[in-house]
Amino acid sequence: MAEQELVTIEINGIELQVPKGEMIIESAKRIGVDIPFFCYHPRLGKEQAANCRMCLVEAGTKQPDGSVRMMPKPQTSCTLPASQGLVVFTDTVAIQKARRGILEFLLINHPLDCPICDRGGECPLQNNTLFYGPGVSRFVEEKRHLPKAFPISDYVVLDRERCIHCARCTRFSQEISGDAQLEFLKRGADTMVSTFQNTEFTSRFSGNTIELCPVGALTSRVYRFRARPWDMKSQKSICTRCSNGCNIWLDYRPNRLVRVLGRENEAVNEEWTCDRGKFGHEYISSDRRLLSPLVRRDNRFVTASWVEVYQLIASRIRQAVEERGAGAVGAIGGAHLSNEEAYLLQKLMRVAVGTNNIDHRLERNQVAGGDTLLARLGVPFTQTAIADIEKAKTIFIFGADLVDEQPIVFLRARKAWFRFGAKVIIAHPEPTETELRFDEPLVLRYRAGTETTLINGLSHLILQSGRAVTDGISLEELQASLSEYTPARVAQETGVAEDALREAANLLGEGTVILCAGRVRNHPEYAVLANALVNLTLLTGNGSRGNGGLNILLPEVNSHGAADMGVLPDLLPGYVPVNDREARERIERIWKASLPAEPGLSTQGMLEAAAEGKLQVLYVIGEDIAQKYHDPELAQRALENAGFVIVQDLFLTDTAQYADVVLPAASVAEKEGTFTNTERRVQRFWKAMNPPSPDVKPDLNIFAELAVYLGKPLPVFSAEQVMEEIGQVFPAYAECCYDQMPAEGVRWMPTLTDRGK
Amino acid sequence: MAELKVLFKDIDVPGIQTLEVYEQHGGYSALRKALGMTRQQVIDEVKASGLRGRGGAGFPAWIKWNGIPKDESQPHYVQCNADEGEPGTFKDRELMLRHPHQLIEGIIIAGYATLSKVGYIYIRGEYTEPARVMRRAIDEAYRAGYLGKNILGSGVDFDLYIHMGAGSYECGEESAMMSSIMGERGQPRLKFPHAPLPTIAGLWNCPTLINNVETLSCVPAIIRNGGAWYASMGTEKSTGTKIFSVSGHVNKPGNYEVEMGTPLMELLELAGGVKGKLKAVIPGGSSVPILPADKCDVNLDYESLQAAGTMLGSGGFMVLNDTVCIVKFMRRTAAFYAHESCGKCTPCREGTRWMVKIFDRILAGGGRMEDIDLLLDICDQIDGRSYCALGDAAAWPIRASIKHFRHEYEYFIKHGHSMVEAQAEHSVGGR
Repeated sequence: MAEQELVTIEINGIELQVPKGEMIIESAKRIGVDIPFFCYHPRLGKEQAANCRMCLVEAGTKQPDGSVRMMPKPQTSCTLPASQGLVVFTDTVAIQKARRGILEFLLINHPLDCPICDRGGECPLQNNTLFYGPGVSRFVEEKRHLPKAFPISDYVVLDRERCIHCARCTRFSQEISGDAQLEFLKRGADTMVSTFQNTEFTSRFSGNTIELCPVGALTSRVYRFRARPWDMKSQKSICTRCSNGCNIWLDYRPNRLVRVLGRENEAVNEEWTCDRGKFGHEYISSDRRLLSPLVRRDNRFVTASWVEVYQLIASRIRQAVEERGAGAVGAIGGAHLSNEEAYLLQKLMRVAVGTNNIDHRLERNQVAGGDTLLARLGVPFTQTAIADIEKAKTIFIFGADLVDEQPIVFLRARKAWFRFGAKVIIAHPEPTETELRFDEPLVLRYRAGTETTLINGLSHLILQSGRAVTDGISLEELQASLSEYTPARVAQETGVAEDALREAANLLGEGTVILCAGRVRNHPEYAVLANALVNLTLLTGNGSRGNGGLNILLPEVNSHGAADMGVLPDLLPGYVPVNDREARERIERIWKASLPAEPGLSTQGMLEAAAEGKLQVLYVIGEDIAQKYHDPELAQRALENAGFVIVQDLFLTDTAQYADVVLPAASVAEKEGTFTNTERRVQRFWKAMNPPSPDVKPDLNIFAELAVYLGKPLPVFSAEQVMEEIGQVFPAYAECCYDQMPAEGVRWMPTLTDRGK
Repeated sequence: MAELKVLFKDIDVPGIQTLEVYEQHGGYSALRKALGMTRQQVIDEVKASGLRGRGGAGFPAWIKWNGIPKDESQPHYVQCNADEGEPGTFKDRELMLRHPHQLIEGIIIAGYATLSKVGYIYIRGEYTEPARVMRRAIDEAYRAGYLGKNILGSGVDFDLYIHMGAGSYECGEESAMMSSIMGERGQPRLKFPHAPLPTIAGLWNCPTLINNVETLSCVPAIIRNGGAWYASMGTEKSTGTKIFSVSGHVNKPGNYEVEMGTPLMELLELAGGVKGKLKAVIPGGSSVPILPADKCDVNLDYESLQAAGTMLGSGGFMVLNDTVCIVKFMRRTAAFYAHESCGKCTPCREGTRWMVKIFDRILAGGGRMEDIDLLLDICDQIDGRSYCALGDAAAWPIRASIKHFRHEYEYFIKHGHSMVEAQAEHSVGGR
C-alpha cells in the first residue's frame, strides 16, 4: 500500500487533508468532530463491523463542476474511506434524527438498570444517550427477558439483556485472541452472545472482552459491585505477571485495589491484557500480606521492629564476613524488583558486604560468563521489538507455548499472521495451545532433546540452498561444521519429516522472527543451542538488519532489568565482567568503593554451598525459591542448612517458613520505579496506594537502610536518584530520564562498545 | 395479450429436464457458440441484450460481467443466487425444477466469459426437489463433457457446485450469501464504497460474478439468437421478458412469462382474472410497496413501476381482493421480516421486532392512534439506516400500506377489530 498518499476531504465545511483510505470516523477526530459509535474499534478485525449504525454521516463527492453529489443513504463513517473530494456532514438534522433513532432502538430492549450496573458511570450507551439520544422512549411493549448475571467463566459474567450486539467481544475472540470462544446464537432480536453450548469461556484473554463491551453485558466477576467508576482513583502501572511489560491502570479505593485495566501502549500491549495480568493482581490487597518484620524465636515468628531486625541482620552479616569472609554471604532475587531496587541490591552486596554472590536466576541455565547472544548478536536476550513482530515475514515459534508463556508477544505474533499474512512455523515436542490459534501452521514435532540437531539441520538446508547470507560469519566454516546435519539424518534423529524440514527452511529467510522461551532457556546444553540459533539468525540475514531476529524471551517482570543491573555473580551493571579490571575500576570510581574482583556464586552455587552448610547468611528477596527454584529440593536443603536466612517478601511464603528474619516489602502498587521488559523497554510505574501498614517498606528503602546498619551507607532518597546513577554506570540507561520518560518507555539500544566502557 | 415465452419456450416439452431432450431442442448450442466467440464478444452480446438482473435490483448484467478482471492472477467465481426467499416469488423454483439445463448452460457461459473455473448455485434450503433436479442435471452435464475439465475440447475448465442454504431469507442477499458459502454466519458484508465490489473481491476475496437464476437462464437464448433479438422485446430500458409469479386472489395462479412493459391488468387477465373485487397488488415480492387497485393501471417494467411508487422486484406478483384486511396482512409481513432479520444491525434487529409488537397490540385491540405515526417513524428510522436492504424491505411495505390504507388502521385502532371483516359480517348478516 502506498503510504501517506493524501487526499482532500471536507467535514462539516472544514477542509482537511488526510491519508487516502483513512476511515472518516478517524478523520473527524483530527478536527475535533465527535462521531458517536458503539461497535467501531480500530484494532478489531480486518474490517469494521459497522453494525451499530451509530456513526452514520451524510456523505457525497465533489463533482468537477464544484457541485456535490450526495449519496442517497447515510453512510457509516467507521467504514467510509477518505477519497479525494469526499464531503461529509456529521451533524445534520437527518443525522441527529438517525442517532436518536438508533439509540431508541438500542434502548427498547436494554434494561434501565444502570444504578446496579457495573458499567454505569463509564458506559458508552449512557454517555451517547445523554449527548445524542431522545429523552424518553416511545416503546410501551414488554422488553426482552433473558438470563441476567449469567457467569460464563471464573472471571466473566454475561448479562444477555444488556447486550447491544455490537460484536466487539465476538470479534475479539475470533480475530485477536483467536480462541473463538464467543459467537452469536440465533438471529434477529433473539440474537445472543454465547459460548459453545454455554460451556465455560476458556480464554487467556477473556478480560479484554469486559473492557471492550460498550455496555454492562460482560462484567468482571472479580470487580463486580466493588466500586463505582466515580469513587475510585487510577494510577499508571506496569503488569508484574510476566516479562512482556504490559501497561495497565491500577484502579483503587483507599488502600484497596479494585481492578486492573489495560492501558494503551502501541509499542507493547496496544491496549490488551492477558487474564493473568487483569485478574492476577488481587494479591496486592490480600488479607495475608505481611504487616511487620518477623523474627524467629523458639521456632515461632514474633513481630519485631525494623531497628531490631536491621541490627540482627547487620550483626549476623558482619559475623559471617569476619568468620568466613564475604563469600559466606549470598543474595538471591531481583527479577521481581524494580531496576532501581535491583541495582541497589547488587550495590549493597558488592559494596556493603563485599561479595559477588548475587543472582536473580531461578532457572537451570546459569552459565557463567558472557552470554552467546551478547557476544555474537550484541543483545543479551532479544533482537526484535514487540511491535516489530507484526512486520515479520515468518514467525518461527521454537519450543515455546507462546500463548501461555508470553501472552502479549503471542498476540503480536498472531496479528502478524492474521492481519499481515506472515507465515508461521511452530516447533515443539508436544502439541501446544499456541498451534490451535493459527490456521494450519507448519508444525515441526521434534523429539525432546534434539533441539540443536533440528536447528543445525535447518541451517544446513539454508546453506545448501545458496540463500545463506554472510553476516559476520564465515559460511565456509559453518558449512564444514554443519556438513553432518544432512536432512536425512536430522529427520531420523528429530522425527520431523524431511519434507517438513525443507518447507521450514524455505520459509526461513530475511524477516524471520524467532521466538523462544522457557524450553530454550532451560535447555541442558543452552550454550550449544544458543550458538546454533545465532547461526541460523545470522545466515538468514537477521543479524543486524531488518525486522527479523532471535528472541529468547524471559520469564519474570524484571528478569531483563535484573540482568542489566548486574544482579549476576560475574557481571556488574551493564554486563561488565567483574574480572575486567579496567571496566571495574571505572565503576569503582563512580561508587567510590573497591569491588570484589572474582566472580561470585550463581544461585545454584549459593544453594549448593548453603546445603553443605558453607553459606552463613542467605538473603532471599522476592523469590519463593522453596517452590519456584528449578530444583526445589536443593533450595529447601539450602534453606535448612544455611546459617541465617533473611526473606524479604509480601507474604509468608514457603521460603519464608525457613527464615530467621522476615522483612515485609511493598507491592508494585505501593512504590514507584521502572521495569525493563523482555524487549529491553524501560518503563515507569507509579505509586498508587499506601502500603497496608506503616511497617511495610519498599525494597529500595530496605536496601538503603540496611546499608546504613552495615556501616556503608548508600545515600539515596528516591528511585529517581538511583536511576540517575544507573545512567552513569550503564550509559545505555542514560536516556531513560526517569521523570521525563516517554509514554511508550525507552527501549535501550545496545552496542557492543558498551562493554567495559 | 399473451405470454411471450423465452425462458419458458420449451418448458412444457416432456423430458426437457433430461440432457437428451434438452439437446434435441437446441440445448448447449449456445455454449458451443459462446466457446467459439471471444470472452469479450460474449459480454458484448449480453450488453447488447440489455439484460438486467432479475433478482430484484434490476442492475444491468453486463456491467457485472465486464467488471470481472480480465486476468487470471486470482481464481474467479460465478455465484448463482437460487435462494429464492422473497414471499410471493416462485419463478426460480420452476426454472430449476423444470428447465435445469438452461440454467446450467447459462452459468457455464457466464463462467467462460468471466474466466471463472468454479461456480456455485446457492439453492434455498427448502428447495430440496429443485436441488435434486439440478443435481441430476449437473451430473448429466459432467458426463456429457459440458462441465469439468476441457469442456467440449475447448481447453476451458468449469466446475459447478450446489450449496444448499439452511433456511435464512437473509442469505439471499448477495454478500450474506458469500458469507454463507464461505462457511460463515449468514450475515451481509460491507458494500461499495466501504468495500470493493464482489466483482473485485467476492468469494474468498476473489472476483465473483453474482447473478440470479432467471438472469443466468436468459443467457443461452441471448447467445443463440443475439443480444439485439433479446433487446427487441420489452421496452427500451427494460428489455426482454419477465416471469411473474402470480399468486393470491386470481383464478389461475402460477408463473407467467410476459414481455417487459405488459400492462399490469393484462397479466391479471392472463392469470384468469381476479377472484372478487381487486383491492391491491404487490407486484414484486413482499418487500415492494403495495399498489392499490386504483393505481394498477401501469405497465410492468422497471421504470413504469418505479414511477408508480413501487418496484418490479423479483416478480412476486401478489393479488389481494377486498376480503383482505390490510392491517392483518401487514402484521404478517412485519412478522416475516422480524423473523428473518439476521440481527446484525440495530435498526433492522430492533425496529422490525418493535413493529410486530405494535401490530400485535393493535390486533389485540390495544392500539392507540399515535401508533400509526409511530409505525411510520420506525419505518423512517429503519429505511436507509440498516446494514443491508432487508431493513429497507421491512419498512417499505408497511409505509406504503399506511399511505394507501390509513383508514383501515384507524378503524382497527378505534374499534378494536378489522374494518374488512366487520363489513363482511355486516353484509352476511344483512342478507
